[in-house]
Amino acid sequence: MLSILMRKVLVLNESDNIAVCLVDLDIGEVIAQDGLNLTIQNRIPRGHKVASKDIAKDAGIIKYGERMGHATSDIKIGEHVHTHNVLGDRLSTEQVK
Amino acid sequence: MSNQLTAFERSDGRWGLRNHVLILPLHSAFSATARKIADDSSGAVAVSHDWSGEIDGDFDRIVKTISGFAANPNNFATIFITIGTPNELAIIELAKKIGLGKFEVLNVAELGSMSKIADIGLQMANSLLKEAKASQRISAPWSAIKLGQECGGSDALSGITANPALGVASDRLVELGSSSVLGETTEILGAEHLLAARAITPEIGARIVETVARYERSINYEGIDMRGAQPSRGNIEGGLTTLEEKSLGAAKKAGSAQFSGVFEYADQVVNPGLYFMDTPGHDTEQLTGFAAAGINIVVFTTGRGTPTGSAIVPTIKVATNTTMASAIPDLIDLNAGTIADGLKTLADVGGELFDLILEVANGKLTKAEKGLHHEFSLSRMYNTVIR
Repeated sequence: MLSILMRKVLVLNESDNIAVCLVDLDIGEVIAQDGLNLTIQNRIPRGHKVASKDIAKDAGIIKYGERMGHATSDIKIGEHVHTHNVLGDRLSTEQVK
Repeated sequence: MSNQLTAFERSDGRWGLRNHVLILPLHSAFSATARKIADDSSGAVAVSHDWSGEIDGDFDRIVKTISGFAANPNNFATIFITIGTPNELAIIELAKKIGLGKFEVLNVAELGSMSKIADIGLQMANSLLKEAKASQRISAPWSAIKLGQECGGSDALSGITANPALGVASDRLVELGSSSVLGETTEILGAEHLLAARAITPEIGARIVETVARYERSINYEGIDMRGAQPSRGNIEGGLTTLEEKSLGAAKKAGSAQFSGVFEYADQVVNPGLYFMDTPGHDTEQLTGFAAAGINIVVFTTGRGTPTGSAIVPTIKVATNTTMASAIPDLIDLNAGTIADGLKTLADVGGELFDLILEVANGKLTKAEKGLHHEFSLSRMYNTVIR
C-alpha cells in the first residue's frame, strides 16, 4: 500500500466520485494510485477536488460518501470539480462571483 | 504520561479544570475597572462586555450567558461589580442556582466611589487568589470533562485532518463517560440528516433537524442571502464548493458517537454523552456560550489560525495544515496537517489530541492561555432597545 506521502490525491470514501488534491496538479499529470487511473485535465490547486469518475449533468457529487451538491454540466474524469460545474442542493453558491 | 485525570471538586459536585478568580462587571461601564483589578492582582482574570442593563428581546439570553459564565466550574470565585439594580442582582441569583462558587459583590450604590471599588476589589481578588492557590486538585472521574468542539477559519483540509482527529478524541472521551458538545448551527446545515440518524431517539433526531430548519427560517426572515457568506470566499478559494460540503467536514468534529440530546444556547451541560448545541457560527459568541453552559475545556480546529480564546476555559488550537501551523507556532497547540503530509495517520493524531486534552485538563497551559486571549462576546438576536 502507498504511504499518503506518495499520494497526489486523497480518496475519502470508496463511493466518492471525487478525490481531494494534496498538491497542486497540472494538466497531463497522471494519477495512478488506490485503483485510480486518470489524467489531470485542468490545473487544480491543492485542497480542490478532481473527478475520479465521469459525472453526468444533474448527478450528485459524492464526498465522504455523502451528497454535497450536484453537477451543473457533464464532468469528465480528471476535471476540476468546483463552483463552475457544481451547485449545492440547498443554499447554492450560484450567486457568488 | 499519567493517564489519571485530576481536577478541582466544587461543593455541588461539579469539577473545575482551572481555578480562576473572575472579575465580572454586570454593567458595561465597569469593564475598565474590572480589567484594572485583574491586571493589578496576582493572577485574576476579567472580561468586558457591552450590556448596560437594557431590557429587550435578548434580555433572557444575556442574563443566562453572564450568570452561566460566572457559575462555570473553572471559576474558584467570582467578584461581581454592579450598580445594584434588580436586573443585575438577578444575574447573581441565577448564577447561584446554576452553581456559583465563592463570590463577592462590589456594589457601586453602596460603596459610592470608583477608587474604593478598585482598592477593595484588588484586596478581595488577592485574598481569593491565595485561597485558590492553596486548594488542591484531586483524582477526578472522566465525567469531569465537558468538552466543547469548535472550528474557525476552515479550509479544505479541515474535514480531512483536524476535524476528524477531534472526532477520534471526542469518541474516546464519550466512551469513557465525558460530555462532548458540537455547536455552530450554521455549520451543520446540509449535514443535519447524518447527525439526526445518529440520535439515540427519533425525537432527538427530529430536534436536530428542527434546530437547523429554525435557523434557515430566521435567515429567510431576515432576507439574508447566505450564498455570499457560506461557504466564504476564503473557503471557496481553499477548494470548498458548497455549504453542504463545508458542513460535512465540520460535522467530522463530532466523531461517530450517538447524539444524546440537543441544547439551546448556553443551556447547562450536565450529563455524559455527545450533544448538539444551537450556537451562532461566530467564534467568540460560541465560545462564550460554551463557557456559560459549564463546558470546561474546548478544542478549536483552524485552517487560517484564529487566535480566539476564553478567560476561563482552556482552548486547544489544532491546525488543519502544516503551512499555517509553521507560520503561527505561538497559536497552535497541535498540528493535524501531518495527516495530509502523509507523516501520520488519523488514529495517530486523534490519539495525540486525546493525550493533549488530558494534559491540558490536568493544568498544562494552552497557547491561547499563555497569549492571554480572553475574548468574550454576548450573543444578540435583536436590535438593542434603550430602556
